[in-house]
Amino acid sequence: MQDLIELKDVTIGYDGKGVLGPLDLSLGRGGFSGILGPNGGGKSTLLKTMLGLLPPVSGTVERKPGIVFGYVPQNENFDPIFPVSVEEVVSMGRYARVPAGKGLSKTDRDIVRRSMEKAGVGHLGKRAFRSLSGGEKQRTLLARAVSGEPDALVLDEPTASIDVKGEAEIMELVESIRKESGAAVIMVSHFLRTAARYADRIILIDAEKGVFREGAKSELLTGGMLADFFGLPVNGYSVPDFGGDV
Amino acid sequence: MTTLAEFMNSYFLWRDPMIVGAAAGAICGFLGVYVVLRRIIFVSAALTQVSSLGVALSFYIEGLGLGILSASVHPFVFSIVLTVAAAVFFALKKDYSRISREGIIGFGFLVAAGAVVILGDRITKGSHDIASILFGSAVVVDPADAYIIPGIALAAAAIQFIYMKDFIFVSFDEESARLFKYPVKELNAGLLIMIAVVAAAATRALGALPVFAFLALPPLAALYITERLRLVFLLSAVIGVLSAVLGYFFSFVLSIPTGASMTICACVFFIAALVWRGPREHA
Repeated sequence: MQDLIELKDVTIGYDGKGVLGPLDLSLGRGGFSGILGPNGGGKSTLLKTMLGLLPPVSGTVERKPGIVFGYVPQNENFDPIFPVSVEEVVSMGRYARVPAGKGLSKTDRDIVRRSMEKAGVGHLGKRAFRSLSGGEKQRTLLARAVSGEPDALVLDEPTASIDVKGEAEIMELVESIRKESGAAVIMVSHFLRTAARYADRIILIDAEKGVFREGAKSELLTGGMLADFFGLPVNGYSVPDFGGDV
Repeated sequence: MTTLAEFMNSYFLWRDPMIVGAAAGAICGFLGVYVVLRRIIFVSAALTQVSSLGVALSFYIEGLGLGILSASVHPFVFSIVLTVAAAVFFALKKDYSRISREGIIGFGFLVAAGAVVILGDRITKGSHDIASILFGSAVVVDPADAYIIPGIALAAAAIQFIYMKDFIFVSFDEESARLFKYPVKELNAGLLIMIAVVAAAATRALGALPVFAFLALPPLAALYITERLRLVFLLSAVIGVLSAVLGYFFSFVLSIPTGASMTICACVFFIAALVWRGPREHA
């Protein structure tokens, strides 16, 4: 499997202050990686370092030349004062392949339209993004990520603000996009069950305790490991109820 | 009070200021949408004050009679240089230890405002009284402004035509723009410099108060009227033009200060949009 992102001896952190490291990690095409950990544990810092949005405090981050990311940030990242339509938001995902100073071509607009239909928001094109429900917003952001025809879909807490049914729908959509496009998926989540069901590789991270584990789901999602990591009496057998094969 | 007929017969008097006001209203209204959406209204207030400081400073230096130095300080150029320098500072410096960015912007606003009043008191050239610099009294304008202000407005509109998608993108989602390798710093600085140049040129011609009003009130009114972003830009520019034109007209026929009249017209549009939106908000 060709590596899309490779971290070598990387210490992650902000403003030159390391919070965790050194870390070694490589992510290949087509895989589904779940990044799990407590609040403030360094999940988003790791994700942003991988994407190049934050420089590593030390070490090197290598990305496949010309790699295109489809990024689904947290909902709260967007200021509701902006009266942008669903179609305008999805079009922004296409900017991954359209440089500054150039407009979208007819082909680009067709891809945007198809991405909206794939994500089930084709009928919401003219609606204001800020007026959507949590689930509709996530679908729109997924359509936006897909419209760039990414090598890797990066999801930051994609189901944090939606109900159980909405969560299942979003994750099924992510899974179908992954299978169809062959894009790698990197997902930050609070939800152990979601990661257990869909991810094939797991990254456990807790900067406060200095913990970083990366490996196959079957290696990491065991009762003992989870009890140790989360500090809770986790029963490993409860995870398979949600489709995982731990 | 002047009648409408008298106003129409005075075409030669109001043609240039009307052109300047309309051009400034249109481009300030348009660019003001970014100001409001990026929540930097106070930056535009500070920039108009710094621009006023540039104008006052150049008149002050001119009045000192320092030979070639006094002769070479042109209020237009001085105002633009000072305002652009402030814009670049605000665009590039975002982190201040212990205090917020708003605090620094407030400091810049107050320093500029205080200095303008002090310099105004010292300006020897009677025709350039401080009230006209601050609040606008563009009953007549420099004939060159009838070309300069529309020229600057057209140049800004041309840049917007090419980069509007990018300015909107970095304003809405800077993180994704950085991920897609967009020149975020350059776009942010370019937008603020464009606002600074427009604000400086318009402030020298019309005064700080109406220019600040055009940057803030038409976009706020347009945002109440429509949920479509491109229409917000268009409506805001139209409201800017109407505020300037009607403001000048009322100033002329009622013999009231021009800058204040333009500002009040922009306020009326804002209140009208608010009233229009009210029942629809809860429908």
